[in-house]
Amino acid sequence: MRIIDLEKKQGDFQMKTGSFAIEEGKIHGIIGGNGCGKTTLCKLIMGMTLPDRGRIDYEGLKPREITMTAQRPYFIRGSVYENICYPLKIRHIRPEEQKINEWLERCGLKGKKDQYARSLSSGEQQKVSMIRALIFEPKCVMIDETLSNLDPENLELFEQVIFEIQRERPITWILISHRLAHIYKMCEILHFMHQGEILASGDKEEILFRTEDERIRRFVANEVIKMEGSHAAFES
Amino acid sequence: MQVIKGFLDTFFSDVGVFDAICVTFQMAFCATAISSVLGILLGLLLERVNFVGKRLVIRVNRTLMGVPPVVVGLVVYMLVMRRGPLGSLNLLFSIKGMILAQVLIITPIICGMTYTSLVSRAGAIRAFAKTMGADAIQTQWLVVRELKNELYFAVVTGFGRSISEVGAVMLVGGNIKGHTRTMTTTISLLKSQGIFTEGLTLGVLLLLMAFVIQSLADFFQRGESSDENY
Amino acid sequence: MKKQRQWLVAVLATSLLAGVMTGCGGSKEPEAPTEAPAEAPAETPDEAPAETPEEAEEAPEDTTEATDETGSEAVEKKGVLMMATTTSTADTGLLDYLAPIFLEETGWELQWNAVGTGEALKMGENGDVDIVLVHAKASEEEFVANGFGVERFQVMYNDFIVVGPAEPIAHTDDIEAAFKTIQEEQLTFVSRGDDSGTDKKEKGIWKKLELDQTQNPNYLESGQGMGATITMADEKGAYCLTDRGTWLKMKNDADVELQLEVICEGAADLLNQYGIIAVNPEKYPEVNNEAANTMIEWICSEEVQELIGNYGVEQYGEALFTPNANE
Repeated sequence: MRIIDLEKKQGDFQMKTGSFAIEEGKIHGIIGGNGCGKTTLCKLIMGMTLPDRGRIDYEGLKPREITMTAQRPYFIRGSVYENICYPLKIRHIRPEEQKINEWLERCGLKGKKDQYARSLSSGEQQKVSMIRALIFEPKCVMIDETLSNLDPENLELFEQVIFEIQRERPITWILISHRLAHIYKMCEILHFMHQGEILASGDKEEILFRTEDERIRRFVANEVIKMEGSHAAFES
Repeated sequence: MQVIKGFLDTFFSDVGVFDAICVTFQMAFCATAISSVLGILLGLLLERVNFVGKRLVIRVNRTLMGVPPVVVGLVVYMLVMRRGPLGSLNLLFSIKGMILAQVLIITPIICGMTYTSLVSRAGAIRAFAKTMGADAIQTQWLVVRELKNELYFAVVTGFGRSISEVGAVMLVGGNIKGHTRTMTTTISLLKSQGIFTEGLTLGVLLLLMAFVIQSLADFFQRGESSDENY
Repeated sequence: MKKQRQWLVAVLATSLLAGVMTGCGGSKEPEAPTEAPAEAPAETPDEAPAETPEEAEEAPEDTTEATDETGSEAVEKKGVLMMATTTSTADTGLLDYLAPIFLEETGWELQWNAVGTGEALKMGENGDVDIVLVHAKASEEEFVANGFGVERFQVMYNDFIVVGPAEPIAHTDDIEAAFKTIQEEQLTFVSRGDDSGTDKKEKGIWKKLELDQTQNPNYLESGQGMGATITMADEKGAYCLTDRGTWLKMKNDADVELQLEVICEGAADLLNQYGIIAVNPEKYPEVNNEAANTMIEWICSEEVQELIGNYGVEQYGEALFTPNANE
């Protein structure tokens, strides 16, 4: 998929991505400070908003094969099970109950199948929303901070899931997270965003640790200090 | 049915109470059904489509939500009277004419309420549907399904307005005994005859019936809304 | 000051109406003809309630204003006489015509509630009004006999007529023949069906002829006032029994030209006698019996009887009511 000079104005915020490729079958990470346009970029790719200028060349990828999970996912009225079945239903695929049960069990949601989805805790909701996004085997998955608020154990679980899927049938992942450690661990290709601009795209080591760009260096430094701080807190 | 009719006839003066009840519900069900379809479709359309003057249309809609029924009654009367533009349809002093008037009163209410609930909620639902890969029709269907409670409430409001309305049905229907006399116009007639107690009884009866229908409707759609309390 | 306020109300009402008209302009064709009827009722309620609070607050000022309007000497205003009456006296404008003269000559302000005879008598029975002016002799006498009214005085009469299409009933003075034809040929007939004086009269005729009008499938009961019933008869090309006053006024004033004709008039059976009764102060001490007695004396006086006899001649070409208080 190629992003070609997307421009989008939202109030004072001006987005101008420039052109870059999102390579198929790889795990991509997008990082950047708050309000730098990460979510907007995802929405543009998803087709939820239209760009003022520029376009996206999906290179044969159909809109139905892309999905996105939100930071605060929406649930339709109904049970957890009905929510997970929804993407299958609109594709006229018969849900395999066995498979869904396995998913639920793996995520520690075994007894919650028939619970009203909107009554789940936010962590549980994020897990269900992940299952719902993966159940129909899309070719491109964008995860917008959905995993950020999971506890380390569950985060680990989904990291494993992503790696498993990549081993079996590689798809395109776009991860958005403010957790540098998570992104660093997961992604193969990194895109750094700053005030609506893609400052750098490419190898994560290159971008994070060998960049000349003052803005990226400052961001990384900040993140590292935060991490150190939290480690220190844990140790003491 | 005959038993109920007999019972009502012994209880009330000779004003055709049983027929009035039948007419009332026949009219209210038809008017609410037509208005619901029209109102919800218009509401969906209004929310979906952008055009010049949309805000004006919305404001007019809001205004029409409070339109005095007698005004609608008068307009419909003039439309359907023998020498009016629709005179040939023979709608004056008929239930069809009353339904027409009621549709004009209720549709803006249902449309306005539909539009209002859509504006606040449809955005999130559409965004979600997009991420799930739903097509346009599936998206629209999801929006309607998700807003079932709100739409239901709009329809119920319309129904309540319909059975309680008296001005327009009096004008257009003509309060003809056994044909176009409704419960409300019967009450009005009983009052004009000075028979207040029967009028009040009929009023209570009307409320009771509305309550029963309300309860039935609630019963049928309770399934999911009981889970809503979280 | 009162005049100014009335002006203000009129201007406000008109500008509001104009605003609405331009707002909806062109959206619906049939709205245009609503203008005329809409304006008239809009102003009446505006004025009516405006008067009442003013009296209470600014009683002395009001007197001078009354003088301004009538152009005669100042009359001390004594209070309000509340009357329940039939729609016919109000709809024909007779009371609008008499009330200012009554105020000027006696100092009592006449206010009225125009309803059906049944309800008017009911209001009397409940002591909600001081006086009733209705036309259903039997009910009136019962009203007095039951102690709700003091005494019944006859005031005037108008007559009932049958209106309807000129075919198949030709103009006649034989009410019985006309009603029989309606029954036999199952012609459409719109009845008031609201237990009003007119309704009672009509039911009485059927009864006298020993006909069961409900056997006629085209016999309809409108349950509405005389005006609405005439309009319905006109729309349906039906016959109906009406008092002449309402008929003349409708024929003269209605927007839509009535296509009905008078097909039966002049029968002795069709006289419509109005009686006036003061509500019994022994039953309801709070009623304004003084004003009620003044009204009875006044309306039965020769001078006022003459006014009644002349009312409507100029406008409709014939008198609406025939006074007969002194017969």
